Amino acid sequence: MDASMPHRLELIGITKQFPGVLANDNISFSVRPGEIHALLGENGAGKSTLVKMIYGIMQPDAGEIRWNGERVTIANPKAARALGIGMVFQHFSLFEALTVLENIALGMDAKIPARELEGRIREVMTRYGLLLDPHRTVATLSVGERQRIEIVRALLLDPKLLIMDEPTSVLTPQEVEQLFDVLRKLAAQGCSILYISHKLHEIKALCDTATILRGGKLVDTCDPRQETSRSMAEKMIGGGLKDLVKARDRVFGEPRLHVNGLSMPAPDHFGTALKNVCFTVRAGEIFGIAGVAGNGQNELLLAMDGELPTDPSAIKLGDLPAGAMSPSARRRHGLSSVPEERNGHGAVGVFSLSDNSVLTARERPGMVNMGFINFGAAKTYTRKVIADFSVKALGAGSTAGSLSGGNLQKYIMGREILQRPSVLVVSQPTWGVDAGAAAAIHQAILDLAEAGSAIVVISQDLDELLSLSDTLAVINGGQLSPKMQVGDASIEEIGLLMGGVHGNTEAPDAIPA
Amino acid sequence: MQFRLEKRQEPSKFMAYATPVAAVALTMIIGAIIFSLIGYDGVGAVREIFLTPLTNSYKWQDLGVKAAPLIIIGVGLSIAYRANVWNIGAEGQYIVGGLCATGIALLTWGMTGWWILPLMMLAGMAGGMAYASIPALLRTKLKVNEILTSLMLTYASVQLIYFLIRGPWKDPMGIGFPQTRLFSEAARLPTIIPGTIVHLGVPIAVLVAIIAWFIMSKSVFGYRMRVVGAAPHAARYGGFSENKTIWLAMLVSGGLAGLAGMLEIAGPFQRMVPGFPTNYGFTAIIVAFLGRLNPLGVIVAGVVLAITFVGGEVAQTTIGLPNAATGIFQAMMLFFLLAGDILIKYRVRRVMPQTSTEVA
Repeated sequence: MDASMPHRLELIGITKQFPGVLANDNISFSVRPGEIHALLGENGAGKSTLVKMIYGIMQPDAGEIRWNGERVTIANPKAARALGIGMVFQHFSLFEALTVLENIALGMDAKIPARELEGRIREVMTRYGLLLDPHRTVATLSVGERQRIEIVRALLLDPKLLIMDEPTSVLTPQEVEQLFDVLRKLAAQGCSILYISHKLHEIKALCDTATILRGGKLVDTCDPRQETSRSMAEKMIGGGLKDLVKARDRVFGEPRLHVNGLSMPAPDHFGTALKNVCFTVRAGEIFGIAGVAGNGQNELLLAMDGELPTDPSAIKLGDLPAGAMSPSARRRHGLSSVPEERNGHGAVGVFSLSDNSVLTARERPGMVNMGFINFGAAKTYTRKVIADFSVKALGAGSTAGSLSGGNLQKYIMGREILQRPSVLVVSQPTWGVDAGAAAAIHQAILDLAEAGSAIVVISQDLDELLSLSDTLAVINGGQLSPKMQVGDASIEEIGLLMGGVHGNTEAPDAIPA
Repeated sequence: MQFRLEKRQEPSKFMAYATPVAAVALTMIIGAIIFSLIGYDGVGAVREIFLTPLTNSYKWQDLGVKAAPLIIIGVGLSIAYRANVWNIGAEGQYIVGGLCATGIALLTWGMTGWWILPLMMLAGMAGGMAYASIPALLRTKLKVNEILTSLMLTYASVQLIYFLIRGPWKDPMGIGFPQTRLFSEAARLPTIIPGTIVHLGVPIAVLVAIIAWFIMSKSVFGYRMRVVGAAPHAARYGGFSENKTIWLAMLVSGGLAGLAGMLEIAGPFQRMVPGFPTNYGFTAIIVAFLGRLNPLGVIVAGVVLAITFVGGEVAQTTIGLPNAATGIFQAMMLFFLLAGDILIKYRVRRVMPQTSTEVA
């Protein structure tokens, strides 16, 4: 890394305005050849907008982009690729029914004969240790393997700058390590990497430089190895971070939720069947369920909260068989849930918050009288949720859709928690939520457990589960591992369980396209 | 200069009220142009269809009588459509309701008693509900789309009329006409304003709409319908089962269509004839949408569509407009309304090419 060489990429005063929000305000930083540069920030900090301008998807309103020292205008992604900029998106664009080779061929700007392309693909794969059979159908691949296709696709163009957008959010710890090896190899060969993430320990482990954005502005460019995770987090959220208050030596009470031999066919073509899921959660206990997305988490949540009926004795609330009860009946018996999808599942976007309170809180706090809704009571309850959980909303009359993801999640959590559930099932409680709101949500979960509720937290974020839960199990392919104490579990073991059959290329191709 | 649609942050309340008015206005303007182009007095046609029924007080009673069934059926459909249950077969449920009421009227023929009309009403509603429960059953048990089944059952119900009035229910004194005998006095709806044709069905229609508005906005039932339509997953999460909602929506809309059938047969018709199906069940679809799926809006929309019916008849005699003209005007209204509804969620923005500066 010779300082006299021109910068690979240099941004000078990049500004982008959207209706009502300044997404990027005068951002300047540069990336040297072979540097792994982190772009760090909360949701809405302006990372994606910035990267879209570098990749030619959007044009800046002001400022300039320099490539190897020369000023460039990147009109579209094709122009970006021609310059040598590659990008791996967070959401893959792959056809499930086609093979790896066919998918890559479809994404190429130039038409290359299949045989030659296959040779080049195999060469790239061996060079970087990205093992994958080019003739396998995408539908049979795990998420980590699918990501490899996207990486190979980008590497075939021999990029000088590779942009990775939140690449590890769907990977197991082992897959993350493999990815980091690939990225380090690339950097050693002179390719610059712009690595977008909000996971601080990864950035400390991988990156040479970190640029931190907050609210569209550049806060700091620093060396992550010289910083602590905490100092970076505080720059990212712009304030002190509160510590979670978790009592030591917690004692658990009576078993509140039994799931016993729960098996269920996949509810639809894209679903996962549940196979003999068993666990018990006691009063005061936080039970975490880890796993890569799409391994039966949604089905498990729907089975527990009553949206999908099961065998009556497969789910028990205390001693009461609840498997055949409707969601309302389960709520009456003290089971609340918070689904992963907030807008459209946990809440109705076009309804006011007050009307959204009627959705699940109409019975326990008593908003219904003789079949008619007491809207005054709904409003009072909603105001209490807003106040107690510091939801940023204009009032009980604001529509749920007008709230940010974090605020809507705080509202939904509050709506369920203030009903004092004896069992709470939460899926991805802080997914896409800013750090401040995430801390508040975590504390609310801990407080509810402290008050004696049994809690199930389903999450893809292993760090979240390790800091929050008392006990933990891993779901893979609809099967749940045995329960372990969080203190006793090793990350490697959990990672292997998360990979399960999916990480194994010898696995039977169970999902025909 | 280009125009672009841009999503609004919140749906516009103003546009929700403005588009129905704009749809009616556009229908008048475009209608006038089209009928002028094909050689009629276009402006005259619009005047006769939209204004004469309002300015000529003699026509007001016709308006009330035409609007009543449209409002009752439209209220039922607006409830079902809120829950995204697409009952297109209100015409068939209206016919079966009318037939069931006819059955009671024929059974009690020659009898007197206050109970005959209420019994006919119950029979009418039960008939509409029963007929609507066929698509409901097919949808909930076999996942058959209710749009197709409810529509096709309409054609079956028309054949049922023909069968009954040519066979078992044929008027013995009717010298071969395919119709039932005239209902006896106790099975006919009383007029409420002496000397006019305004029957009891008119105040009933207004009452039905007001009650429905109250239930839709204040009750758990109304909440269920709204939440199922707005976010089906959230509804399931909130404990509202989809199948139960489909049943409720079909039964309410079918029952109200059946009630409208009873009021028509016992009011204006007073006997079952082949001309009983008058497309009220289909026109009520336009009424429901023009009324913004709000029972109070449906009252206004019902009157607007009644105006086009009455005015269409006027225009047939005064300027020789074909009968189909009424249907063209009604259909235009629905098209403009549905097209205009995009402005509730989106706004039109002018975009200058090559710059990204904002033009408000």
